[in-house]
Amino acid sequence: MKHNKTFKLVALLFLMISYNSCVEDDDYSIPTSVGLEENDKLTALLTQINNNEVDLLTVDQVKNLFVSDQAVNIESSIAVKGYVVSSDLTGNFYKEFYIQDEPSNPTAGLKVVLNQVDSYNQFNIGREVYIRLQNLYIGETNSGDGVVAIGGRADGNEIDQITENMISDHLLRSSNTEAIVPLELGLGDINDSHIGLFVQANNTQFPAALNGLSFVDPTDDYDSLRDLESCEDSGSIKVETSAFASFQDRLLPENKGSIAGIITKSYNGDDRVIALNNINDINFDGSRCDPLFADNFSSNNLNNWTQVSVEGEQIWGITPYGNPAPSARISGYDGGNQLNEDWLISNPIDLSGLTTAQLNFQTVVRYNGPALQVYMTTDYTGGDPSDSSWVELEALLDTNTGSWSSWTDSGDLDVSAAAGGTLYIAFKYTSTSSGSATYEVDNVLVTGE
Amino acid sequence: MKNNLLTFFVFTLFVSNIYSQFGTVSGNIKDDRNNEPINNVKVTIENSELSTFTNDKGFFNFSNTAPSGLQILKFSKLGYQNKSFEAIIPDNGIIQINQIELKYKPIIASTEKDISLIQDSNSITEITEEEIDNNAPDNDQFTISLSDDELSDDTSGSDNISGLLQSSKDIFFRTAAYEFSSSFFKVRGLDSDNGMVHINGIEMNKLYNGRPQWSNWGGLNDVLRNQDFTNGITPSSYSFGGLLGSNNINVRASEYSKGGRVTYSSSNRSYTNRVMATYSSGIVEGGWSYALSMGRRWGDEGYQDATFYDSNSLFVSIEKKLNNKHSINFTGIYAPNRRGKSSPNTQEVYDLKNIRYNDYWGWHDGEKRNSRVKRVVEPIIMLNHYWDINDKTSLNTNIGYQFGELGNSRLDYAGGANPSPSYYQDLPSYFLADNNGPDYEGAYLAQQNFVNDGQINWNRIYDANLTNTLANENAAYVLYEDRSDDNQLTVNTILNTELSENISLNTVLNYKKLVSNNFAEITDMLGGSGYSNIDSFDNLQYDLINPNLIVGEGDKFKYNYTLFADILNAYSQLSFRYNKLSFYLAASYTDTNYQREGLFDNEANSGNSFGKGEVINFSGFGTKFGLSYKFSGKHMLDLNTAYISKAPSFRNTFTNSRVNHNIVGVDANGLINNTPITEEKVMAFDLNYIYRSPVINARLTGFYTNIQDANEISFYYADGLVGFEETNEFVQEILQGINKKYFGTELGIEAQITSTVKLKGAASVGQYTYDNNPYLYLASDNNTVAMGESNLKNYKLAGGPQKAYSVGIEYRDPNYWWIGATTNFFTNTYLDISPLTRTQNFYLAQDGLPFTDYNVDVARDLLKQERFDDYMVVNAVGGKSWKIDDYYIGFFASINNILNNQYKTGGFEQGRNANYQELNEDVNKPKRVFGPKYWYARGTNYFLNLYFRF
Repeated sequence: MKHNKTFKLVALLFLMISYNSCVEDDDYSIPTSVGLEENDKLTALLTQINNNEVDLLTVDQVKNLFVSDQAVNIESSIAVKGYVVSSDLTGNFYKEFYIQDEPSNPTAGLKVVLNQVDSYNQFNIGREVYIRLQNLYIGETNSGDGVVAIGGRADGNEIDQITENMISDHLLRSSNTEAIVPLELGLGDINDSHIGLFVQANNTQFPAALNGLSFVDPTDDYDSLRDLESCEDSGSIKVETSAFASFQDRLLPENKGSIAGIITKSYNGDDRVIALNNINDINFDGSRCDPLFADNFSSNNLNNWTQVSVEGEQIWGITPYGNPAPSARISGYDGGNQLNEDWLISNPIDLSGLTTAQLNFQTVVRYNGPALQVYMTTDYTGGDPSDSSWVELEALLDTNTGSWSSWTDSGDLDVSAAAGGTLYIAFKYTSTSSGSATYEVDNVLVTGE
Repeated sequence: MKNNLLTFFVFTLFVSNIYSQFGTVSGNIKDDRNNEPINNVKVTIENSELSTFTNDKGFFNFSNTAPSGLQILKFSKLGYQNKSFEAIIPDNGIIQINQIELKYKPIIASTEKDISLIQDSNSITEITEEEIDNNAPDNDQFTISLSDDELSDDTSGSDNISGLLQSSKDIFFRTAAYEFSSSFFKVRGLDSDNGMVHINGIEMNKLYNGRPQWSNWGGLNDVLRNQDFTNGITPSSYSFGGLLGSNNINVRASEYSKGGRVTYSSSNRSYTNRVMATYSSGIVEGGWSYALSMGRRWGDEGYQDATFYDSNSLFVSIEKKLNNKHSINFTGIYAPNRRGKSSPNTQEVYDLKNIRYNDYWGWHDGEKRNSRVKRVVEPIIMLNHYWDINDKTSLNTNIGYQFGELGNSRLDYAGGANPSPSYYQDLPSYFLADNNGPDYEGAYLAQQNFVNDGQINWNRIYDANLTNTLANENAAYVLYEDRSDDNQLTVNTILNTELSENISLNTVLNYKKLVSNNFAEITDMLGGSGYSNIDSFDNLQYDLINPNLIVGEGDKFKYNYTLFADILNAYSQLSFRYNKLSFYLAASYTDTNYQREGLFDNEANSGNSFGKGEVINFSGFGTKFGLSYKFSGKHMLDLNTAYISKAPSFRNTFTNSRVNHNIVGVDANGLINNTPITEEKVMAFDLNYIYRSPVINARLTGFYTNIQDANEISFYYADGLVGFEETNEFVQEILQGINKKYFGTELGIEAQITSTVKLKGAASVGQYTYDNNPYLYLASDNNTVAMGESNLKNYKLAGGPQKAYSVGIEYRDPNYWWIGATTNFFTNTYLDISPLTRTQNFYLAQDGLPFTDYNVDVARDLLKQERFDDYMVVNAVGGKSWKIDDYYIGFFASINNILNNQYKTGGFEQGRNANYQELNEDVNKPKRVFGPKYWYARGTNYFLNLYFRF
């Protein structure tokens, strides 16, 4: 009896102790302190900016601090704001990200190098980031590569990553994440001022010769460059993909369409490249735009053409100059201006099944003389051109007779009149005894749909 | 040191007592259940011809006939537990011993003749409940060091045997349990899977790795005190047993004496607090008896940082005696247990932090949150039928069912940086090892960062997931559990019969069926929205049946499979017992079937992953023989031999059961080295010399064990391995056909110098080595790369010191207080070597030719096995108890490692840097980047126990 009573008492006591003796359990919620420290640091920076203790520069202004071939230590109290445009989620970027000055219509971009993998889960695309620049470095990670970057330390004339410990003091996120609107550019319009920007090029494709290849050549250890060509202009760029990217072994898409990525430079700076955040940023849903006729004269012959000399001794030929070399050339000058009429007529170009077609080429001219004329026809049968009905095309030609480098794009010349049939194009050169210009023609391209 | 010790032991052996005078000793004896006097108790004075019986009032008297000096009085009566009592009988004087309690003990048929011999030899110390609490640092603390330590993790490859040994009465085993266990000393060099643990005759060792899962019944110490331990290969009446012996925990309700007990303990080892309450009814009306126990153990932090502890325990046992012959007992044990684990670390990390450092945790809103939590919820229910067929024969039939969950949590980081704060790229050594020369600035920054912080950054993890949610990306991190949900049914029947006065027979039939579902389950999305069920390393699907699945909290991912085991065992043993000679013969046959069923179709292993695999069958035979010869009451010789072939455990059968059906020696393309998996063969032999006198108790043993055809499978991420597509591969290293050799001597001795002072000593001097060059191959998914022989022969087996010595002194005051202290020395502790670096992979370059810069002398240095520093550990223990009316109150406290010595107890070489050039480069760095990882023992630590008994 006594025992029972004692037992009950003790049991009660025991239960009380037990149930009040909690230990850390597994029921954790999101820590309330997430981001607080970073917020404090950002607030402090913004206050300093408001009080003019820290100057907030534009991305462009920061880029101007770069001195070629130097790692510049930033000593003044300055900061920069930008929007993240790259992501290392797929592994195509490694310990770096790019920012640009505005979410849309950006004008300048910068690379940020940091000792942190998977930075996408902190500096996500579109995130507004303030960089406290004091004590950081501006320069290139590989001297001469042409990509201006922010780093944390100097390594000779190059910069090194912002260390893990410096990140939280220098790279401050705001709570804003903006939608990044890609800057739409033709491949031919892309230049070094676009480095670091998120750019979309429409109407592009990989050259037919790359069909069946993957983004990264299995024999490449680090990355591969794949040519990308435009269906709209003569521009081209290389797509750079890291061997560590999750899509490195995917096949290059064979259609044409839009591609969006960050414009930057290859490792050694030799090539301007576009680097993808994600393979989904390639949207190739159109039929290919391989040219119906193309000649850049790299074959060093005129086998694609019929040369007809109507008058004069001088004829069309190949010259070891061009855009790039070589190109087709003619001059009616031989110790003096000579009388000439020389046609360069393309082999037949099959436009069957197409509805539209364009011609594009480039010219450079030197010395005075009659202008080159450009024609099209559908009924050339060989021999004397005068037997056919030629239609002259309004091409933009080089008019700067004083330079060999004033290559001029013809613009897209509509040759749709031949659609459904066979097209011939012709360059007609004439010179007189009073004037004989020298023309070089290059990159003749006929495309159609 | 060793020599001095031996001299001391030998010296004390020859001290003997000579008595010529006589005195008077008298007293009375009562039943411990009801304080009623007991008549007819035989009282003998050991080593004399004297004996008498108690009268109706329980009194006995040796009137001036008892030899004076220290004497052992022995009390025995059928139905009660024998009890011994020591008394110093004054010359011509009188000593009275009143109120001696005898513990009620129902008669159980038993054939444990050798045990009874050993027990006799040890009855010089009182073996009652009281004694266990007083004499020894309570069992419980060792259950701590055993079940709760990081070293009992499967990952460490190390385990502790003390839980098996603590119930032994042998001085050596007790020393091993209480003094050596914190050093992860292994008795005879053997792992704990060589010790069989039973509860009510049902084997509790897990089929996965063969080891008992102590936490299944942790916190219930007060009801687990009725234990039968048989040491080594000596026979047990419950099973064929293991090489280390077997232990049966008897939880029959009727075997508990009536009364209750409340215990409170405090410690800084693994838990901070423990409360236990137990009540047993004894046999009440209608033949019913019951026992209840509840326990709770908890703490925010053990010795290692952030190793929280959270465990509740509940125990119920109810027995109904149907009639004189039949009795049925139901037992339920529910002991859910959660605890934070701690990491092994490189020496660099310990140097930067301290030996409490744990890299598994980080601050979460001001709380220490551990990312690696072991959670065990595996309730046991059992039904036992006891049938005393006649005086000589009993049949015990048991059904046990265990089910529940075992989970080990960790962070997965498919979309984020490795969250480990001691990740090698974040430590100073990495910067010092820069290929362009040491980067001192980077090293300094890393050092500052690690010293000042150096913990998991939960905020960053949550921020990453929140950022990804914002950007519509999958979570970068999740917390998940590797789960093993077992359902195991065991049915057995144990027949004990005395064929004649001298011959007894035990026969056991045992059937086990296990269905074990193993999978990874997300337990916390950590602020993320979804998680991709795709392997982020190779972008392959974890499950082709549900490709591109986005999983969330509570979902299974990564892997999911079921293992089936069917085990049928028959065992029989004949024991012969004669006056001087006893011997036994035992044989056992076990039929084991394993089968795997894949529930996911792993893309990298498709075709060899989903559905049921082949049934794998093993046949195991075992025979044992032993004999004891008693030269006199003081000297006994005992020898045991065994030859056993047994099925490998699950763990050492399937090479990567998470993703495919492959078993050791076979992959999807067939045999790898023309050698299929086979049973392990074990040969064991021991010879014991046992000496006992009123003063000295000693055992000296020589043992030899040989294990053949063992397999070992390890898992790790390996860098730069030849033969694999990916440079960073999660590989399984399969070591097939390992032979191991163990031999050595054990000595245990105790000397009762005076009635109050006892000296104790124990020593184990062994040598445990690999005994051949086993075959090694690596596997990753469906790729297998054979590495050939691993030159392991004569390398030492890791896991605790191979030589251990203990000396101790104990003072026991007649006024119910006592203190003791021991000094323990440990030597020959070795690092676990990486077998891969002992293969040709070590010296062959990619082209299959030796490295041009290979230098044999340098290589020898690189591959030399690290031997840890020898160390000494001093422990002290003391306690006191009071009797107030019918109540007992007592306490004891122990302080271990009083000198606060810092020493390594174990460690392993990292699998990285698998070849000569890489290893040589790493070793020659200013600080090693991929140095071995170690465990350190605890510094000074304490355990305090208070109890109240009624």
